[in-house]
Amino acid sequence: MELEGKRTLITGAARGLGLAIAELFAERGARVAMADMDVPTVHAAAAGVGEGAIALSCDVTKPEDVKQMIDDTVAAFGGLDVVINNAGIEISKPLPETGDDEFLKLMAVNVGGVFYGIKYSVPALAQSGGGCILNMSSVAGLAGVPLLGVYSASKAAVIRLSQTAAIELRDFGIRVNAICPSFIQTEMVDRLVEPFEAATGVGFGDLAAVAQGRLGTPEEVAEIVAFLASDDASFITGSYYTLDNALSASKQ
Amino acid sequence: MTQILQDKVAIVTGAAKGIGFAIAKKFSESGATVVLSDIDVDGVQASAAQLQNAEGVRCDVTDESDVEQLIAGAVARHGHLDVMVTCAGIAAVNPLVQMPLEEWRKVMSVDLDGVFLCTKHAGLAMAQNGGGSIINVASIKAFGGSPATGHYGAAKAGVVSLTKTAALELRASGVRVNAICPGWIGTDMVMDRKGELEQVLGVDFEQVIAQLQGRLGTPEEIGGLAVFLASDRSRFASGTAYNVDGGATASLP
Repeated sequence: MELEGKRTLITGAARGLGLAIAELFAERGARVAMADMDVPTVHAAAAGVGEGAIALSCDVTKPEDVKQMIDDTVAAFGGLDVVINNAGIEISKPLPETGDDEFLKLMAVNVGGVFYGIKYSVPALAQSGGGCILNMSSVAGLAGVPLLGVYSASKAAVIRLSQTAAIELRDFGIRVNAICPSFIQTEMVDRLVEPFEAATGVGFGDLAAVAQGRLGTPEEVAEIVAFLASDDASFITGSYYTLDNALSASKQ
Repeated sequence: MTQILQDKVAIVTGAAKGIGFAIAKKFSESGATVVLSDIDVDGVQASAAQLQNAEGVRCDVTDESDVEQLIAGAVARHGHLDVMVTCAGIAAVNPLVQMPLEEWRKVMSVDLDGVFLCTKHAGLAMAQNGGGSIINVASIKAFGGSPATGHYGAAKAGVVSLTKTAALELRASGVRVNAICPGWIGTDMVMDRKGELEQVLGVDFEQVIAQLQGRLGTPEEIGGLAVFLASDRSRFASGTAYNVDGGATASLP
């Protein structure tokens, strides 16, 4: 199988994209450690993924949690090959209405979590003779997005962290890339429906249809993540891989 | 290898050797029926003979009737066309101020006109058949300056733009259009010009490659992405230029 034996750690794995990634990786032969701060849900999710999957508790804004999560994965699997920094949150408000604490919290999860995920996984990945780090960004990281200004800034930061890490870690045999999906059928996007419809006066389904034909599925995101984690992607590093059915193609 | 391209019919231009052949080989190993085309008919037929479910045909991608025949022939013989990879390309080495117009036009003709013609006719055939995937092989030279190969860089920038336009125009027809942008790959196109590049640019080639992207990429390392983009696994991917460059474009210095 294409991901046979790949010891993989996924954050934000209780639901949505993280869960879909865990399911596909397990199906393709990877061993998956699923981390989330929602402990009961991630345990149930890991049980659903199968015997080989383990569930871990982690608040990615806490460096000690991230270190522990990585140590636990190495202890369970005997090493680490792939780290997927997927945990993320959103704010859907105009910038002037965004709370100062909300701003700091989002940056701590979406940027801080990725920073710690990179920093603290390097020793384990290097010990395994190299590996792969994949960071969940977004098409919102490619340009400004009304209502998603803070989210957009955090996802742009994820791209830049990935690029620098790719260069710095190349000699360790560690590849680092970002993934930039557009609107995908997840609970996070469900939460955007109301604020977007209120702001635009247009149905969310119609907005999505015009911008990207239809909503993407978590499985479709999982597929591009699986490709980038595979040995077929051995020369791909320092890139951000957009997955948006041409949403960004008319501007970028 | 997993047969993720089972039942798909693919055309690869510029498939006699290099990246085009590596893509055709991975397609064949993944279960596709592959039409390899090249202006070098003997070369492409010899290459196709090494692969399962493959044939080699002549095509000059700068000639519209050649391209029309290539696509109509593939559809006639195999029933449909699912994947078009435009890999035919040429390069030459000259600073802009010394570049003969003829050389500029020749590179633009193969590297940009050829992609336009293949996208046009494959897009039409696929739209009539309910969809497909067009994969244009561009280059990371599309994004920055391209010293000593200004025509090549301009053509590849054109390919990326054309890819995005085609993706938007064809989305409703189910035709996906993406570009692959390789960094420096160890093909004949690159290695045959190493000396010229070193001379014109005044650099040590190996040193530049090591600093820029760690090492040269291999044609097979482009093939993996091409298989993914050809397959239904990438059904939500369109309008994007995907870099495969060992980190060459990731940093400013």
